[in-house]
Amino acid sequence: MFFQPKTIDEALAVRAKMGADATPLGGGTDIVVALNRVGSGAKNYLDLTHVVGYPDVQRENGEWVLSAGATFTRLGKLPVRALAEASMTVGGAAIRNCGTIAGNLGTASPAGDGCVALMAMDARIALRHATRGERIIPIAEYFTGFRKTALLADELITQVRFDADWRTAWYKVGKRGSINISLVCCAVGLSPRGDVRIAFGCVAPIVMRARKAEAIVEKHGLSPVAIDEAAEVAMTEVAPIDDHRASAAYRRAMCGVLTRRLLNQLQKETGGRASAPAA
Amino acid sequence: MAQLETTWRLQCTVNGGPVDCEVPQDQTLLDFLRIGIGLTGSKGSCLEGECGSCTVIVDGQAVNSCLVLCPQMQGRRITTIEGLACGEKLHVLQETFLDAGAAQCGYCTPGLIMAAKALLDETPNPTEQEFFEGMEGNICRCTGYASICEAIRAAARQWQ
Repeated sequence: MFFQPKTIDEALAVRAKMGADATPLGGGTDIVVALNRVGSGAKNYLDLTHVVGYPDVQRENGEWVLSAGATFTRLGKLPVRALAEASMTVGGAAIRNCGTIAGNLGTASPAGDGCVALMAMDARIALRHATRGERIIPIAEYFTGFRKTALLADELITQVRFDADWRTAWYKVGKRGSINISLVCCAVGLSPRGDVRIAFGCVAPIVMRARKAEAIVEKHGLSPVAIDEAAEVAMTEVAPIDDHRASAAYRRAMCGVLTRRLLNQLQKETGGRASAPAA
Repeated sequence: MAQLETTWRLQCTVNGGPVDCEVPQDQTLLDFLRIGIGLTGSKGSCLEGECGSCTVIVDGQAVNSCLVLCPQMQGRRITTIEGLACGEKLHVLQETFLDAGAAQCGYCTPGLIMAAKALLDETPNPTEQEFFEGMEGNICRCTGYASICEAIRAAARQWQ
């Protein structure tokens, strides 16, 4: 069966009833790739693209609120540097027009560029059930294993929220200028509350944070010595593998390079103090 | 909200004309266009969103037709390469691609033209960066890109 609800309540009702037997479908840029490869698809689809408000993005009370279907094209225009830059490196224009933030979170690939940017801003993910209601999961607790998440089979990702005052920087090491899958992706965030976040993609089974490196900068600030030490420590926290795209040793080295580069960039822009971005 | 079978009654608009037919629920838009209604201009190649040869325009936006399922097109307006010419009169992008010799084997050309149309409809005078972002999802394996870029820039100069 193919379900095409017009409201989120209808969608949640189908999900609550069908659970894992109905595959939620957003832009299709992951699910239909799999269908094309295998040649046969899911038994039932829950198409969310006709739900009213599905692609909305709003700023409310100092936070950004992304509806599940916010596309990478839309996110590429946000005044949130890490997320905007990450979004614009996803696929080409046609992929960005369809691919959604909830799809990135639902697929939960360790190479999910959007997820890395969200991780650097302590994003909160709203998971909703038809009758149990909404629960908010901090992104640091959302990824539970390789392509495994806290989302239950009878829930849907409905929103992603994060404070609008994070100052962020982002970089992706890849092999091509376009349609570029990350070899290593890094996002760094500073909050006015003194929080430091250093997030990586492609260097562990899940999108991860380098917490020891973060603690060094939180304690000592963005001094050259602290940045160097954080870069060294970050390399010990990641767990990359060798594969056809890059070696583990190269990926580990890039984690040090990117940590140093992005912290230096933020140091230059902020004079060492985190503050709210101008936008 | 749902249709009970594994088929779907698809109602949408293709190249300005109404479509109303039964389709398998997991048929891609590309297969529907090519097999279902015989519009073979859109090409399949990588089937994973890397090559752009299947690009069509849905409600004004470039979309990889190999990566959307037909039922998702309910109520949408779809434009394919077949919808660009007006009778014998070619679309400006078709003219400039011919003038620039921007096709060799031609397999990528329909997708390139549809991506370029989506880009220029939204951004008639694109910066280098906007040009790159609009076209980066389409690859050509025979011409190199100089003549393709020349054709799109020539069309941009005449865009209305």
